Amino acid sequence: MTEGKKINIVLAGQGNAGKSTIFNYLTGLHQHTGNWAGKTIEKFEGTLYYKGYTIDVFDLPGIYSLTTYSVEEVISREYIIKQKPDVVINIIDSTNLERNLIFTLQLLELECPVILALNMVDLALKKGITIDSAKLQKIINAPVIPTIASRGSGLTDIIDKAIELKEGKTEYRVPRYGKEIESRIEDLSQYVKDVDLPYPSRWIAIKLLEKDRDIVTNIRGKDPRILKEAGEAIYRLEEIHGHDSSVVISDERTLLASHITREIVNIRPHRKLSLNEKLEIITTHKIIGYFIMILILGAMFVGVFSFGNWLSSLFESVFQNWHEWWNNELGTTLTAALGWAAVESVLALVQIALPYILPFYILLYILEDWGYIARISFLMDNFMHKMGIHGKGCISFIIGLGCNVPGCLSCRIMESKRERFITAVLVTLVPCSAVSVIIFGLVGKYVGLLWALGLYLFAMIVIFLTGKLSSKFIGGEPVELIMPMPDYKTPNLKTILYETWDALKEFIYIAAPIVIISGVFIQAINLAGWMPAISSFLSPVTEKWLGLPAVTGILLIFGILRKELILVMLAAYLGTTSFIDVLSPQQMITLSVVSMFYVPCVATISVLWKDFGWKKAMAVCILEILFAIAIAGIVKRALDLVF
Amino acid sequence: MNKDKEQVRLLDLEDGRTGIIISITGGKMLTKRLADLGLSTGTKIKILRKTPFSGPVQVEVRSSKLVLGRGLAYKIMVEIQ
Ligand SMILES: Nc1nc2c(ncn2[C@@H]2O[C@H](COP(=O)(O)OP(=O)(O)OP(=O)(O)O)[C@@H](O)[C@H]2O)c(=O)[nH]1
Repeated sequence: MTEGKKINIVLAGQGNAGKSTIFNYLTGLHQHTGNWAGKTIEKFEGTLYYKGYTIDVFDLPGIYSLTTYSVEEVISREYIIKQKPDVVINIIDSTNLERNLIFTLQLLELECPVILALNMVDLALKKGITIDSAKLQKIINAPVIPTIASRGSGLTDIIDKAIELKEGKTEYRVPRYGKEIESRIEDLSQYVKDVDLPYPSRWIAIKLLEKDRDIVTNIRGKDPRILKEAGEAIYRLEEIHGHDSSVVISDERTLLASHITREIVNIRPHRKLSLNEKLEIITTHKIIGYFIMILILGAMFVGVFSFGNWLSSLFESVFQNWHEWWNNELGTTLTAALGWAAVESVLALVQIALPYILPFYILLYILEDWGYIARISFLMDNFMHKMGIHGKGCISFIIGLGCNVPGCLSCRIMESKRERFITAVLVTLVPCSAVSVIIFGLVGKYVGLLWALGLYLFAMIVIFLTGKLSSKFIGGEPVELIMPMPDYKTPNLKTILYETWDALKEFIYIAAPIVIISGVFIQAINLAGWMPAISSFLSPVTEKWLGLPAVTGILLIFGILRKELILVMLAAYLGTTSFIDVLSPQQMITLSVVSMFYVPCVATISVLWKDFGWKKAMAVCILEILFAIAIAGIVKRALDLVF
Repeated sequence: MNKDKEQVRLLDLEDGRTGIIISITGGKMLTKRLADLGLSTGTKIKILRKTPFSGPVQVEVRSSKLVLGRGLAYKIMVEIQ
């Protein structure tokens, strides 16, 4: 019977409850985690082998309800209904029990086998909250298991329970709502019973009362008479309660959730403010909060720069004599020259990019795991509104500082299509870590740190103005911000190292091969003597308008693959990382400005393409190329006056 | 409804004070979204803090923390507790 021993489980819950942490623990895979709601944007699948079972685990996006506001909610709902997983594990943030239970009730309405994981009980305990899980289990008639996902505790119990559920027969005794509502649901379910739809009839009845778009359309196709019945019930409900029937149903769930919470939760009054609570007060303070934000971000950049510079010089001294050694050992044949191009490209990547990217990611992940990013959104909401989007967009910006690809993907936390698009376009203008390598390695190192910071400021201004313009252009009103504020959590060293390692892995597996191929390719073009032809073709832009050396033309073309290539290839091509010998300070700044804006890298373009269609993606690329060339030329002319 | 108690916009409630939501003016989508988060008429809501320059407000509802945009806080009427 080994064949049949397959179990399908799904992890579902509200944002930031710890789903991905549990998923990672169970599957040994590595899904991104962090302390803000909305990280998981697509469903993820992994497999676990346990006690002779093959267990497929799905991580669903964090959602607040099972209606159809957002793509994520639709994905999750459809998945649970259509795929009929053997077990749904509902992960609950114990520190926000009442709000999380509202979602649990919706899940239970679907009449699928549910296990509740009461996660973050450690944090709840710290806040003086104890939860009677045995009582909860009795009330909702589903297994409840307290867990601490970040330490892995309780997670095997969940799987054991899941196996038990799969093997046994479960009957559903879904918690009931108030008498009046329940009788309406009951009446309506009678009509729905014979309709041929793959949903439980009580659920359909509830969704009809909630005026759920999808279900109404579905029913209209099957038996329009039911809609008339539903309409009547809705009319009654609205007459009695005085507001929209969909809200009446939500209120009913809320009421039940709060009733259950009161039954099972015991809160001991607070003793003293914890360190994290004090930090919360300071970092979101009306005035001090802004100073601290500038301080933290400023310190981050100075830290990345100093550490990067130090490490970069260290590598430089290590790699110094390698070329000579290579030539002595292998001679100066064509193959040796091309081989060296490959080696040199990798060395340049290690020496120029890695030293900055490493500390950058570590600091970024510390901020993320701690929960600071949500505070930045809070502080910046008003500023973001001026660009026609709301504070959550800031989350995407900060993620985009690391890499534009997850930055653009995270735009899915924005509620409307319009805002997703505006945010994504703005994210492509955020200097990612690859661009930071150029800014730090060129401008920071040779022109001065203040100039480097000035470039970031410049990028912010450009983003702000672009946001203002595009929101005017695209029109529409910004959606209001509604964002759960996660508590600060002491950052987990292991998580941060894991996340950083993940980012570095992508550097090793993706960046290195690209760099090697490009390095060899450029060297081959060079040896074949085609360089002047290509360079002179682009020289009206590079030399005449931007005042850059002609060779930058081909570098900018390769930079579309990955932006750090621009600097890495420059070093490889010149055979030196002492850029001051070949570029003047003006040229360094101009080159940085072009690199910052000229086009998103291919990976980012492909995300734009996938999310918004090729027309919009191409339009963004073309506009950005034109804009970058124009603005960099202007910057160059302004710099001519300064230097 | 008790007439002695003062009714204000959530936005005008002082930091640290609690109110009970008596109405939310806004589109259906918005009220439904809030309701799914446990915010509807009759809910106790506490203002934790506001930001200057007409930024959002941070509130506590059903012992969890939420950030609400300023425009939204303007649309919610509360009765001061
Ligand atoms: N102290 C503590 N922290 C936890 C626990 N479970 C998760 N965390 C932390 O909580 C944060 C959120 O966890 P995630 O797994 O990223 O949450 P998620 O549910 O996948 O979030 P979304 O994908 O945004 O919906 C991370 O910083 C975790 O390290 C726990 O039991 N105790």
